[in-house]
Amino acid sequence: MNHRERVLTALHHESPDRCPMQVSFTPEFAERLRADLRLKGTALHNPHGGGNTYDLERALQEDMLLTSVGWANSYYQEPLTYTDEWGIGWKSIEYNTPFGPGRYTEIASHPLADIQAIETYTPPDPARPELYIEAERVVREYKDEFWIVGVTVTTVFECAWALRGYERLMTDMALDPDLANRIMEFPFQFHLAAARRLVELGVDMIWIGDDVGAQNAMLISPSMWRNYFKPRMATFISELKGINPLIKVAYHSDGNIYPIIPDLIEIGLDVLNPIQPACMDPARLKREFGDRLCFWGSIDEQYTLPFGTPQSVRGEVLERLQTFGKNGGLILGPTHHVQLDTPLENFWAMVNTITRTPYLSDS
Amino acid sequence: MNSITQEIYDGIVNGQSPVVGQKVQEALDSGMSPVVILNEGMIAAMAEVGKRFECGEYFVPEMLIAARAMQTGLALLKPHLQQSDLQSKGKVVIGTVKGDLHDIGKNLVGMMLEGAGFEIVDLGTDVSPEKFVTAAREHHGALVAMSALLTTTMPNMKTTIEALNAAGLRGQVKVLVGGAPVTENYARQISADGYAPDASRAVALAKSLV
Repeated sequence: MNHRERVLTALHHESPDRCPMQVSFTPEFAERLRADLRLKGTALHNPHGGGNTYDLERALQEDMLLTSVGWANSYYQEPLTYTDEWGIGWKSIEYNTPFGPGRYTEIASHPLADIQAIETYTPPDPARPELYIEAERVVREYKDEFWIVGVTVTTVFECAWALRGYERLMTDMALDPDLANRIMEFPFQFHLAAARRLVELGVDMIWIGDDVGAQNAMLISPSMWRNYFKPRMATFISELKGINPLIKVAYHSDGNIYPIIPDLIEIGLDVLNPIQPACMDPARLKREFGDRLCFWGSIDEQYTLPFGTPQSVRGEVLERLQTFGKNGGLILGPTHHVQLDTPLENFWAMVNTITRTPYLSDS
Repeated sequence: MNSITQEIYDGIVNGQSPVVGQKVQEALDSGMSPVVILNEGMIAAMAEVGKRFECGEYFVPEMLIAARAMQTGLALLKPHLQQSDLQSKGKVVIGTVKGDLHDIGKNLVGMMLEGAGFEIVDLGTDVSPEKFVTAAREHHGALVAMSALLTTTMPNMKTTIEALNAAGLRGQVKVLVGGAPVTENYARQISADGYAPDASRAVALAKSLV
């Protein structure tokens, strides 16, 4: 069973030989891993897939390869400060871990902070052929063996708040829906066009979504999500399936989004990511939605991977396989890019337990 | 509650900043006591907002617009309040720890504490332990509230508590922590005085610590 067949089997709610795996890393963790694996390569690793070399993913025996078009590629750029093609300003901030320093790129300025700017704002053009060169290559070189995911995450809300400002956009959503909708159309139309093109190029799955969950509850009310995002996500899914009825669609949101899972199923979603176990109980989701929805992620990045032990990581993977992954329907991996604070022993405990545990094992 | 304080209360709960501004001005013009406007109209309204958030009726946008409405009212009210009227519940030095720029959680906690009558000293984001120490020294007796979103920055809460210790201030300040990866257990481990899972519960925690 190759990587692609493994994912396809799992997404058909059947048990493959082992659980499919997808893992991404921050650039600093990728560097550490590269040294550990004695792999050459110096290019800055993009965890969303844009410009990625896929050498680490292949060395780990991952089953899905990600290729990204859209605003999410603005993260983790090389310069300390930069302005992306959306006009959004970025700066770097350093942090320290027991394994050395790293830096995050964070949003520093918003081109639509001033309402007037919306009148003259022009978003980037999603029809530029150069945006799709990497996706074409990934499909051409790897599709026979791997499950290829076209990434258009930060689909509406995240890119819109980066354009407008976080608190400003959420205030608009409560007080000025017309304005909020006008802003949201910029990223929505861009990412829809990009996703359509990626489907035409032959990717197997499109990954959409926005962080609308906080740790214990949604950031915005379920009704607000239904008002602003459900129709847009429904359009997304139906348009993509109109191009290729076999395409799978995955939706990402951090945190607790339990109330809107039935809505996502209703509009035709196939896969939910990343299922933070501290926010939503994976076993409960499997019981309630497992017959209609597949899951991707679920290995805890808030405690187990950075602060747990190899034993606790292994235990968590096995527990997921027995509950969340019962009868397929699961792609395992960390809920977020593996961070630099993660001990390599924990990382390898996760990867090795996933790749070396036969699916039907009782272990 | 009379009708105008009720209107101020409703305006805040519903996030109607212009209504609150207008009604607070009307109340002041009619000679109503600023303390009554503050306590019955505004602090009571923010308590209700917190309650609605805790029970899952309100989410971040509703809290933001309520806080904005409150701040509009407060700006009009402040010049009319005597120092003695304010009877601040206490002072809170608040910030997101070093290496972390995420501020929505910290801001919501600050807004809710302000709405409950606390005085807020907002140090912003990426706040070094030294900065927390300096602020704790300057604002003698203040609570220190720290926020972190990331596992890579959360350890700076511990570093900050150690810095407060080293500065000989730990006995004089109570420390509150919160943020996505932070747990009650972690708070205990680093010897914080309290943990709250959200902005509304942070208010109850702060009240219990002053």
